[in-house]
Amino acid sequence: MRSWAVALWIGLWAGALAAPVELKVNLRVGEAPLEWGRVYQTPMGQRYRIDLLKFYISELALVRPDGKEVRVEGLALAEFRRGGPTQGVSVMRFEAPPGEYRGLRFDVGVPRELNHLDAATQELPLGVNSGMYWAWNPGYIFYRLEGTAFLGGKEEKWVVHMGTDAFRIPVRLHDLQMRRVRLEVPPRGTSLVLNLDVGRAFLPGPNGAFLDWQQPRLRQLHGMSPETAMVMAVVYYHMLSAFSLAR
Amino acid sequence: MRVGRWLLVLVPLVLLGLERPPVLPHAPAPDPRALVPRVVPIPPDNPQTPAKVELGRRLFYDPRLSLDGKVACASCHRPEFAFSDGGNPVSVGVFGREGTRNAPTLTNVAFRRRLFWEGRSPRLELQAVGPLTAHHEMGMEPEALARRLSSIPEYARAFQEVFGEPPSLKNVAFALAAFERTLLSYNSPFDRFVAGDDRALSPAALRGMELFFSERGDCFHCHVGPEFTDDEPRNTGLYTVYPDVGLARITGRDEDVGKFKTPTLRNVALTAPYMHDGSKKTLREVMEHYNRGGEPNLNADPLIRPLGLSESEVDDLVAFLESLTDAQFISNPALLPSR
Ligand code: HEC
Ligand code: HEC
Repeated sequence: MRSWAVALWIGLWAGALAAPVELKVNLRVGEAPLEWGRVYQTPMGQRYRIDLLKFYISELALVRPDGKEVRVEGLALAEFRRGGPTQGVSVMRFEAPPGEYRGLRFDVGVPRELNHLDAATQELPLGVNSGMYWAWNPGYIFYRLEGTAFLGGKEEKWVVHMGTDAFRIPVRLHDLQMRRVRLEVPPRGTSLVLNLDVGRAFLPGPNGAFLDWQQPRLRQLHGMSPETAMVMAVVYYHMLSAFSLAR
Repeated sequence: MRVGRWLLVLVPLVLLGLERPPVLPHAPAPDPRALVPRVVPIPPDNPQTPAKVELGRRLFYDPRLSLDGKVACASCHRPEFAFSDGGNPVSVGVFGREGTRNAPTLTNVAFRRRLFWEGRSPRLELQAVGPLTAHHEMGMEPEALARRLSSIPEYARAFQEVFGEPPSLKNVAFALAAFERTLLSYNSPFDRFVAGDDRALSPAALRGMELFFSERGDCFHCHVGPEFTDDEPRNTGLYTVYPDVGLARITGRDEDVGKFKTPTLRNVALTAPYMHDGSKKTLREVMEHYNRGGEPNLNADPLIRPLGLSESEVDDLVAFLESLTDAQFISNPALLPSR
C-alpha cells in the first residue's frame, strides 16, 4: 500500500520534470504542402520534382524565457520518400520539463565528434545502413535532397548532398526580445510542429548565383569542390531560413 | 575442395616485398633486393573466413546488386584487366550513366591505406558503400539492397551463415571487403627477379628498373615500395587547369586542386587507359608526359620536371612497367566468378 503511494508520488514528480514532446515536420514548397510527383518551378523558371529528402537533426535545445536552454540528447534521421507522408511526420521524440519556452534551436547535421568515427562500427541512425554515409568524403551527408529536373524534353536527376563540418546548418527558432515565439509544454506533453520549405534551396543568392540544372556539374552538388562551392554556399544560406514554426 | 582453393590464396599471406625507400628528395636509390615479409592487414572487426570470402566473391560478380540489375562491381573492375575497366577511360553505371573517372586496378588493394583517387576513404568496408549507392554506378538505397538480397534464398542463407543476420548494405560491404583482400598479386617477372631469378627481367626492363629507382627517373619517390605507391595525393602537372579538381573537391583548398592519390603500378600494362580520367592511352604517352615535366601548374609536385630521357630510355621505362604484370593473377580461379 505504502510502496504504491511512493510509486505514484515518484510518477507525479517524474511527470512534472519531464513531459513527452514530439517534434514533427511538414514539408512545404513555398506555403503549400509538398506533393510527391507534382512538378514545381524554381524562381529561375526551371521545372523540377522532389524525389527524396533525408536529414539529420542534432544539438536540439528548448530555450527558456531567461535564455537558458534545456538540451536534448540524441540524434535523429528524418526521412521522406516518394509516396510516404509529408505532413506532421514525427522525426524525434524526447522529454522536456513542462513550462513556457521562447522557442527552440537545433542543427541539421551530425556533431563533429560523431561525424568522423569509423562508420563501419556505428549503428543507426548513423552507420552505412543509414544511406547517409559519404564513401569518398569521410563523414555523413547532413541534408540529402534529390529530385528530377525537366529541361526541355529531357529528365535529369539532380542531388544536393550537403555535408562536411563546415556545412552544418544551425536552425534558430527562438526570440527572447520580441517574444514572437511562445511554446508551451504542458505536463501531459505536446508536439512541436515545424514547416520546412524545401523550395528555398532553389532561390538565387545575393550574388545572383543559383542552382542551375542546365549545367551538368551542378546536378551533383556535394562536398566543397571550388567549382560548385559558390552555389553550395547559396543553398546553405537559404537553408538557414528554410525551417519555421508551424502556427 | 573449396577450402583447399581458398587456402591456396590466403595462406601465403607472408609475402615478399621491398623495404619502403625514404621519401627524401636526394635519398640514395634503395636496394630492390632488401626483402621484408608482408602480411595482409585484416581489420579485427571483419575477420576473413572461407565462407565470407566466397560470399564476397559471389557478390562482386553479381549484377543484381545494382538498381537496373545490369551492373556488378566486376563490370568496371574486370579480372582480365587486373580488375580495372579495360579500355574505358571512364566507366558506365546503371541506366548507362557515365562517371568521370577511370576505374583503378584492385591489385593488392588490401594494402591501400587510402582509397579512391583523392584517397579519402579509410577502409574497404566503407569504400564499397560508394559504388553500391552512387547514382552513376550501382544506384542502390540501403533498404532496396537489403530487400533484394533477402528475397534471394541462397543469399538469405549465406548472410545468416556468415554474419548471423539478414543481408544489409553493411554486411554486403564487409563481405566484399573480405573478397577484395584476397586480390593478391606477387608473381610478376619483377617479383621473380627480386626473389633471385637473374633471368626474369629483359635487358631493357633491367635498364628501366635502374632509371625508375634513380634520381634521374625519380619515379620511386611517389611510386614507393612493394606496392609502387605512397598512397599520398600528388599533383603531376597533368593539366594547367584540371577539369576534375581532385582532393580540393573535399578540402575546398586551392592548393589541393589537381591532387590525386599515387596509383599502384602493379599490373599497369593491363590497366590502360591511364591517369584519374583515363586521358593517357598508353604507357608510352604517360612516360612522355613525365619526360616533358608535365604542364605548368602551381600545385605540381617539385619532383615533376623535365627529365631529359632519350627515346630509348623511355622505351626502357615502359619495358620495366611491363615487367610488373602478373599473368597468374588474372587467371587465378579463386578470384574469378564461381562455377
Ligand atoms: C560504374 C563503374 C564501377 C562500379 C560498378 C564499381 N566501381 Fe569501383 N571504382 C570505379 C571508379 C571510377 C573508381 C574511382 C573513383 C574515384 O576515385 O572517385 C573506383 C574505385 C574503387 C576502389 C578504390 C581503389 C583505390 O585504389 O583507391 C575500390 C576498392 C573499388 N572501386 C571497389 C569496388 C567494389 C567493391 C564495387 C562493387 C560494390 C565497385 N568498385 C563497383 C568504378 C566502379
Ligand atoms: C610526384 C609523384 C610522382 C612521381 C615522381 C611519379 N609519379 Fe607516376 N603517378 C603519380 C600520380 C599522383 C599519378 C596519378 C595522376 C593523375 O591521375 O592525375 C601517377 C600515375 C602514373 C601512371 C598511370 C597509372 C594508372 O594506373 O593510371 C604511371 C604508369 C606512372 N605514374 C608511372 C610513373 C613513372 C614511370 C614515373 C617516373 C618517370 C612516375 N610515375 C613518377 C605520382 C608520381
